[in-house]
Amino acid sequence: MDHFMNPRNVGKLENPDGHSEVGSPQCGDAMFLDIDIDDEGKISDIAFKTFGCAGAIASASALTELAKGLPVEEALGIRNSQIADYLGGMPPEKFHCSVMGHQALKAAVENFREKCAEIEKILRDAGITPVLVRPGRVYLSHGADVAAAEKALKEISGRNISIEVK
Amino acid sequence: MKTIYLDNAATTRVAPEVLEAMLPFFGDQYGNPSSFHNFGSSQKEAIEMARGQIARLLGAKTEEVYFTSGGTESDNQALRGAVKIDPTRRGIVTSAVEHPAVLETAKVLEKEGCTLGIASVNTEGELDLDSLKGLVNQQTALVSVMAANNETGVIMPMYEAAEIAHDEGALFHTDAVQMVGKSPVDVHAMNIDMLSLSAHKIHGPKGVGAIYIRRGVILPPLITGGHQERGVRSGTYNSPGIIGLGKAAELAHTHLKDTVAAERRLREDFEKRVLENCPGSFVVAANAASRLPGTVTIIFRGIESEAVLTLLDMQGIYASSGSACSTGSKDPSHVLYAMGVDYTLANSALRFSLSRYTTEEEISRTVEVLASVVERLRRISPYTQ
Repeated sequence: MDHFMNPRNVGKLENPDGHSEVGSPQCGDAMFLDIDIDDEGKISDIAFKTFGCAGAIASASALTELAKGLPVEEALGIRNSQIADYLGGMPPEKFHCSVMGHQALKAAVENFREKCAEIEKILRDAGITPVLVRPGRVYLSHGADVAAAEKALKEISGRNISIEVK
Repeated sequence: MKTIYLDNAATTRVAPEVLEAMLPFFGDQYGNPSSFHNFGSSQKEAIEMARGQIARLLGAKTEEVYFTSGGTESDNQALRGAVKIDPTRRGIVTSAVEHPAVLETAKVLEKEGCTLGIASVNTEGELDLDSLKGLVNQQTALVSVMAANNETGVIMPMYEAAEIAHDEGALFHTDAVQMVGKSPVDVHAMNIDMLSLSAHKIHGPKGVGAIYIRRGVILPPLITGGHQERGVRSGTYNSPGIIGLGKAAELAHTHLKDTVAAERRLREDFEKRVLENCPGSFVVAANAASRLPGTVTIIFRGIESEAVLTLLDMQGIYASSGSACSTGSKDPSHVLYAMGVDYTLANSALRFSLSRYTTEEEISRTVEVLASVVERLRRISPYTQ
């Protein structure tokens, strides 16, 4: 009940690494979810907004609390029973309410991976092998052609991608 | 915490006078009104008095009123009976915004071989009479149009709809469950052949209702048995229920003028204050020509109705929405859909329905709580800034 009355992690992230919009108000529910992923591949920040019933709001709040700090793969593996436990019990007929949260998280992770893959492809096409790629930053090895990387990444409009050398 | 009940279109509290009138029939007066002996048959008088009380509320003759188990049975009787009168007339024409008691029954009859026409409504939820006219013909057995809609409160043009039915020789029935006791009804002046009503919507008990059948209309019975109600509706008389319904009808008749005026004033005040205090809200069917005094559906853009209901519930305020999440799939209200309201908005709709017991204080408190609930949920919503 507390997670319905005072949901955690409500809102939006600034330039999130992954963003998703799932469900549809036509089915009565919708959810927007943002995630940031740190260098170790863990979810460092997460925020959501939802159009849904009390069950949807509370389970989304619980899911984001559980997912925060977890490696992406582990976060994707969070089960309904964990959400129910976290909330201190949830009637089975409300289990479907949490489905949207899982979908939103999965879609946000996919969005994160797509963004990374896009950057990686651009860099590789320019003959550069990055050390680590995140949607907002790229790590290059010593001796890499930073200027060429900057030029290549200009193709991606609308996002500021910083380049660091490690 | 004080309970604020604003779901009177779903059901109403039993009036204390009604409860008092019923009690003897749960106690000492347990006889069967159909018995030969005086212990039972002495109840007949009370039952006929109840019949008269209902007839007066409807402008009907006493012998045109038959007791049933409620609105749903009355609707079933009207529809299922009407298509059996004349084998050349097997058609039903109704409206898109009917209560399921009519709409689902009509669909079942369609599967059983009847034809079904569903007339549309405009964006204000008012019956499209041209659409109705286009569907009624010489094969139509019955035109059934609700007197007032349970979600929007929109009052339908019954006289005109009845005329369209009669022009083609069809009967006219109206589900007046929401209208009776809330707004004046005169079955003869309105040209109505059959009318359904329910006790529990007018501060009577649940499980009892009545059907008015115009004298001269012979309907094959839905329920056969011991020939009670002159064979139209068999089954032992539900004496306490019938007495309760009679008393509720009498009270509704007595209070009608005051109720209409008071509920309308409170509802209009409520609408005005909700619109002022809840950003993104608007009234459904706000421009309809005629609405029930105490029923209103309000849409709160960007927020989900069930979440609002839960938060109101926690404050002791009871209203309703058109859909239920517990089934796993939500069907937004067919009424709002028929009016062309889009799905997102339909999922943001709440119905508030007043009664003659609703007070100004309750309305003020509801507006206050609603404003904070709406504000809270708008912060969570992906559709609001």
